[in-house]
Amino acid sequence: MSYSDVPAKGPSGDIVGKPRRNATETRFYLTNEFGLIALIVVFALGFKFTTEGFFSAFNLFTLGRIAAVNIMIGLAMMVVVMTGGLNLAVGAIGVCAAMTCGYLIEVVGLPWPLAILSAVALGALLGFINGWTSVRTGLHSFIITLATMSIFFGVMIFLTRAESYRALPPVFAAFGRIKLLGFFSPLLLVSLMAALVLGYLYNLTAVGREMLAAGAKPEAAEMSGINVGRIFIYCHMLSGALAACAALMLVARNGAAIPSMAGQLGQDWLLIAFLGPVLGGTLLAGGKASVLGTCLGAFLVTMLTSGLLLLQLGDFWIQSFLGLLLLAAVLMDKTRRTFLARRNMA
Amino acid sequence: MNGSFANAVRSDWFGPLLVTIVAVAIVGGFNPSFLSPLNIQVLLLAIAVNGLIAFSQMLIIAIGQMNLSVGAIGGLCAIVFAGMMDAWHVPASLAALTALSLGVICGVINGFLIARTGISAFVITLASLSVYKGINLGITHAQPFYDISDGVKSIGQGAIFGIIPWLMLPTMAVGLALWFMLNRQPIGRFILAVGGNQHAAELSGISIANTVVIAHALSGFLAALAGLLLVARLQMGQPTIGDDWLILSFAAPVIGGAVLAGGHVSVPATLLGG
Repeated sequence: MSYSDVPAKGPSGDIVGKPRRNATETRFYLTNEFGLIALIVVFALGFKFTTEGFFSAFNLFTLGRIAAVNIMIGLAMMVVVMTGGLNLAVGAIGVCAAMTCGYLIEVVGLPWPLAILSAVALGALLGFINGWTSVRTGLHSFIITLATMSIFFGVMIFLTRAESYRALPPVFAAFGRIKLLGFFSPLLLVSLMAALVLGYLYNLTAVGREMLAAGAKPEAAEMSGINVGRIFIYCHMLSGALAACAALMLVARNGAAIPSMAGQLGQDWLLIAFLGPVLGGTLLAGGKASVLGTCLGAFLVTMLTSGLLLLQLGDFWIQSFLGLLLLAAVLMDKTRRTFLARRNMA
Repeated sequence: MNGSFANAVRSDWFGPLLVTIVAVAIVGGFNPSFLSPLNIQVLLLAIAVNGLIAFSQMLIIAIGQMNLSVGAIGGLCAIVFAGMMDAWHVPASLAALTALSLGVICGVINGFLIARTGISAFVITLASLSVYKGINLGITHAQPFYDISDGVKSIGQGAIFGIIPWLMLPTMAVGLALWFMLNRQPIGRFILAVGGNQHAAELSGISIANTVVIAHALSGFLAALAGLLLVARLQMGQPTIGDDWLILSFAAPVIGGAVLAGGHVSVPATLLGG
């Protein structure tokens, strides 16, 4: 087959440049990020025509608020998944940090910026415990974080007696309620900021490159002089800090620090935490991190849930439809990739 | 003699066994009622269900994948089992048969989608978890089914010699069958081979797709069985059955030395882990 069979790609309409350019373009179309953007556009258009008020300012605002937290949770999981590890304790760490923040403000009387900083620091500390134990014992982080999620959550429930902190300064709730331009939640800005920082970390700093190397092949990384153990601990600390941020954002959304906000043992966060990175193309085996993909993946899932709620298909069937949509989404993505790969071969 | 002992120490099940014995000794020492016949019976009841859940996940870990929908399949089958007896007054045996076949079908759907599309099992079972759980909620509207046949209730409560619950029998049988299958039967060896090195397994003429589908079908069957036992134990069909199985299902096989990357699992160690 000659190149003339390849259709024009991109809106510019210039047909078939040099083969090399063609290859990079195809590679872009093959990426997870492009697939997710395409899916988001397709489903957003679908919801626009099938529901009332999907693009209303109010719905966009709530969507952004929920997506912001989900993205942050996804990032918290991604930074550990890319090392080939897992952090099942994201939810537990998050709740611990949120409750600490509530305690410091209400009982100790710290000013709120200090309390937030301490809460994030606690998240990092709990992450350090995960990382250090897992590196020192050589056990898979799956087992370690499985145990620590019970420990962290248990200690939190014991100390708080499962009571919420509701008298937080109005700054929190106000931040959760601000609407920029009438529909944009500043919480989303926080998540985007975190994503930008992570993108900078992985692409432009030595530590970030070392994290990727250690995740891809620990033995090789060790040989090239990277202290793999220390890098893994950094990743877990980062994960803990991001989980703490996610929980604090949830506090801003709820206006209170509630012990059950991530479900029993923080399990409710687990599915969201995995969905973003996995849809975004982060390999569970480690070595590849897609910050943009994680954000888009978490956003897609949030959007599907929100659209389904607006469709009013009957309360009890929503979860089934969410599953079916997810299946449809991944199958569509798979078809797109097979199609493009075949075109490229031709 | 010495050699066989050294072999035992090296095996996967030795560590968990040691920990189990030590833990039983310590807890029993501090609180004698821990070793009372009643508590042992309660403990064994829990182990009967947890063991099956763990086996269900273990098979999928063996082929190097994850099955997040174990709980959803178990819950759906438990609901169908209880619902058929409650709403249609179907005899318990027929209801059980239907529920178990439904478990197999759910598993086959998982396996087929994974084998056919090549999308990671994690993503597929995450989506099917949502689908199965959603069907469960759609059928039940989150209301339990109470009207379980008396035969099932008595099996759920009964115990042999007053200590070993009847529900322990299916779990023991499944454990033996799985051990036999994984160690002595071609399909069991295929499953482990696919998990160990998929490429090598394919080159040696093993059909990857078939093995994956069979492993998922078995996993679905075991999840359904666990769901049925739980209905017998709780004396009703709770829609929330299966919600908290996920962590448990991974914990037991992993503590028992299964490698998440696949190709290596141990039946007795998984049971002890559970």
